[in-house]
Amino acid sequence: MSLLSAALRHTGRNMANTWKSQLTTLFTVSLSILIFSFFYLAYFNGLLIGQELGDDLRLIVYLDEDPSPPLEEEYRRKIEKFDQVESITFVSRQQAFASFSRQLGDDRDILLDLPPDFLPPSIQVSPIKSLDSLSRIKRFSDYLQTLPGVLRVQYGKEWIERFYSVIQLIKIVVILSGCLLIMTTTFMVAHTIRLTLLSRQKELELLRLVGATNNYIRMPFLLEGGFQGLLGSGLGMGALYLLYRWLLLRFSGSTLFELFPCSFLPPATIALLMMVATLLCALGSFSSTRKTLRF
Amino acid sequence: MVDLIKVTKTYQPDVTALSEITFSVNRGEKVFLTGRSGAGKTTLLKLISRIEPPTKGLVEIAGMDIARIPRGKLYTLRRKIGMAYQDFKLLPERSVAANIAISMEIVYRKNSFIQKRTRELLEQLGLQSKLNTPAAELSRGEQQRVAIARAVANYPEIILADEPTGNLDAETTQRVMGLFKELQRRDTTLIIATHDPSIYQEQRDRVIRLQHGLQDTSPPVPARPSEAVAQVDTVL
Ligand SMILES: Nc1ncnc2c1ncn2[C@@H]1O[C@H](COP(=O)(O)OP(=O)(O)O)[C@@H](O)[C@H]1O
Ligand SMILES: [Mg+2]
Repeated sequence: MSLLSAALRHTGRNMANTWKSQLTTLFTVSLSILIFSFFYLAYFNGLLIGQELGDDLRLIVYLDEDPSPPLEEEYRRKIEKFDQVESITFVSRQQAFASFSRQLGDDRDILLDLPPDFLPPSIQVSPIKSLDSLSRIKRFSDYLQTLPGVLRVQYGKEWIERFYSVIQLIKIVVILSGCLLIMTTTFMVAHTIRLTLLSRQKELELLRLVGATNNYIRMPFLLEGGFQGLLGSGLGMGALYLLYRWLLLRFSGSTLFELFPCSFLPPATIALLMMVATLLCALGSFSSTRKTLRF
Repeated sequence: MVDLIKVTKTYQPDVTALSEITFSVNRGEKVFLTGRSGAGKTTLLKLISRIEPPTKGLVEIAGMDIARIPRGKLYTLRRKIGMAYQDFKLLPERSVAANIAISMEIVYRKNSFIQKRTRELLEQLGLQSKLNTPAAELSRGEQQRVAIARAVANYPEIILADEPTGNLDAETTQRVMGLFKELQRRDTTLIIATHDPSIYQEQRDRVIRLQHGLQDTSPPVPARPSEAVAQVDTVL
């Protein structure tokens, strides 16, 4: 017989004895996992969409004159001083005209009467594709506007910013529900385990008298907490998956879903979440055993 | 094996249960600890197993001052000692077998060993038929024997028995004493607290007498049966 098999036997007995409060705890743990992972899933998909938006992130800075090479260098330096960027491309009047006429295709005849320098030169700035740069795009644009020789700065669409604030909001909800998760798992589990501990006070005292080690006495309760965490988070994740499938079915065909591909959490994330929940529950039971058993 | 040097125990606020007790028990020796109810026998056994700390004095087991064992290592001491408690301390809803198994499970004995040892002990103590009976359904005499079985099951080096025959008839008392003799042959050190002279008078073993927490060092009166009876009468 080893510590583990002995502990498993004790755990089984304890859990069978207090199955009502065990179920309540299990339910609470699953529910808080479900709530947390639901918002996390929303956030995760928001990030994915954010990456899709990469191209819209480009800022176009219209200039009054074609810049000379030293001035180009000056612009490049000033832009890079403000923020890291993925690329800076200078577009001269000629290049602008050429690409415009390419875009027009068969309709390029309308350009015949116009001078080839009627379009302003511009700088195309692509910030690093990340949510952070999304949040800064407005400030970036304001900054570029202050550079000498700049006529106007144009960037993406207004809804990028709105999208960004939604993501920010979801992020806050994720953090809040994460706190809720931590509290429910640790406190609920600590509470249930304290009940078990109190109901076994005599037995635990006896175990100490006959020479059981602290680990022998404590291990069953750690395992109990771990079980609750593992099972609870497993159930929560299962429920989340069902909810996700249902939402897909319910909203399939709507434009939002056509536009952006959605995906479920990757297995590694699921595994990590379950592991963290299990650890948190074990931690809850650990604190409970520390307090009640006074080691 | 067990050494007490000037051990005093005062319970709060001012009950002096033991004062200045000094004695040694050698390995493999069987010693009786006697005295009337309230003389301090239980307290003395609790000091030896560090259930209570002494107020003054030194308790040594195998040459080691037990007060210096850290809490986390207390189990090493407790495993050396098997104690049969005066109040039994059985788990009422568990079976007799489960109660006895506890002292072997905590040191990870194999199931086969536990089962064999449990049966053997129950047979020696005349409880074969009670193997699966919940402890709560036993008579006091039966519970007492289960407590003894649990104390001795894992062959501890020291056995402390607190009034082990208090609820037993003459025949069952003989069974228990037989079990103790057998353990003594295995070099087990036994300290048996009792206020029943009949179980130590016909034996050759040393008797430590306590009176109101004081050690009675006067040479033992060679007891005649009539006297023994008289003594019992005054106790009761
Ligand atoms: N936990 C305790 N608190 C206070 N007094 C105690 C406690 N335990 C025992 N005593 C007192 O100590 C004395 C010795 O008791 P005890 O060791 O149980 O004697 P015995 O086992 O010989 O009957 C008694 O006067 C008893 O009332
Ligand atoms: Mg007593």
